[in-house]
Amino acid sequence: MSTHHPADDLLLSLAAGSLDRASAIVVSAHLESCTHCCQQLELLEAVGGELLADIEPVDMEIGAFSRTLERLDQPVSVAVAQVPVVRPDLPAGMHWPRSLDGCDITPWKRLGPGMRWSRITVPGDPQANAFLLRMAAGMELAAHTHGGRELTQVLYGAFDDGRDVWRAGDLDDADGEVHHRPVVTAESECICLVALTGGRTRFDGFVARALGAWMGI
Amino acid sequence: MLTPTDRRDAVPTPDALADLLQAVSEARDHAAFAALFRHFAPRIKAYLIRRGVAPGQAEDLAQEAMVNVWRKAASFDRQRAAASTWIFTIARNLRIDQLRHDRDATSAAMPADEDAEDIAHDIVDNSPLPCDHAASAEIGLGVRAAIDSLPPEQARVLQLSFYEDQPHAAIAEALAIPLGTVKSRIRLAVGQLRQRLEYLKS
Ligand SMILES: [Zn+2]
Repeated sequence: MSTHHPADDLLLSLAAGSLDRASAIVVSAHLESCTHCCQQLELLEAVGGELLADIEPVDMEIGAFSRTLERLDQPVSVAVAQVPVVRPDLPAGMHWPRSLDGCDITPWKRLGPGMRWSRITVPGDPQANAFLLRMAAGMELAAHTHGGRELTQVLYGAFDDGRDVWRAGDLDDADGEVHHRPVVTAESECICLVALTGGRTRFDGFVARALGAWMGI
Repeated sequence: MLTPTDRRDAVPTPDALADLLQAVSEARDHAAFAALFRHFAPRIKAYLIRRGVAPGQAEDLAQEAMVNVWRKAASFDRQRAAASTWIFTIARNLRIDQLRHDRDATSAAMPADEDAEDIAHDIVDNSPLPCDHAASAEIGLGVRAAIDSLPPEQARVLQLSFYEDQPHAAIAEALAIPLGTVKSRIRLAVGQLRQRLEYLKS
């Protein structure tokens, strides 16, 4: 069970359809294992539906309904069978979040001792900045703050950043005000799904700087 | 066919809308579908325009949203969500898919093949729903009362979040309040909604 949940503003943005794709993938990964947040999301979607009644309608064009009727009978094309996707290896017992369906995920690349990463490419959104981070048990990240907003969903293992322990299923929402020093707990390695947003400052954080260096930015 | 008089008709009750949707699902009832179209299509179009979709495209997408309503009606479960909620998520997801599709079309520097584009558009499925497994929150009917019980400034932030193409930072600017205040109003509003619904349920 998760103990760290996304803030209401993230769930509201997701419900409203205005959350950026990278953040939406991370928050959705959280929702897949958190009934509490799903109920929250359903409440917000119900608000969206209710407010739809308040909106000042805009007339449809003349003949819109008959054109729509004609479209009902058009055959639904069937999706072409997908080429089987190749994805990087995971620890036994860990599953991919469904929110990553359709994303392109690179093989693990070494980022430093005990630390690997994999870039996630989101279909239809080349700007989306999302990646996986895989850190060995006991591994320590240098203290860092974040430019922009860094969303981290723990998929496997746990880390302790001095504020609390973040376990599989937990979501960490860190911004420029958070200064922390995550240490992977001793029991196992840790895999996190991370989204970075916040315009030009997004390469300020430690993780982002390391990635930036690796990618030559 | 849709005159200003039609749209001033009383808004159907949530139960009436659910009945219509169920008739579409179970009996493929064209008259019920027409009634849903009359109520929802002009609102979906307005929603899309407010979210920055050009009017011509909004017309087309609103029609497509109604096509999706027809095709997916079997997955509507009135125990789980209000008809307006279910249809709102269809329109919302369609817009997200459209944004993605537009970006794809811009980034792929190939001339768009009309047929291929139509097909690509048809097979687009809505964004995966992370919450399929969720126990129903049974929130349908009390939502209106809960929204109406909010202080106006909290209701306003919700309204802007859903129905204006504005990130929370822009809402802060529009209302001339700090971003932190937008976030705390959201937190308060959501907390109140939840409390109010808990109260109505008990
Ligand atoms: Zn949660």
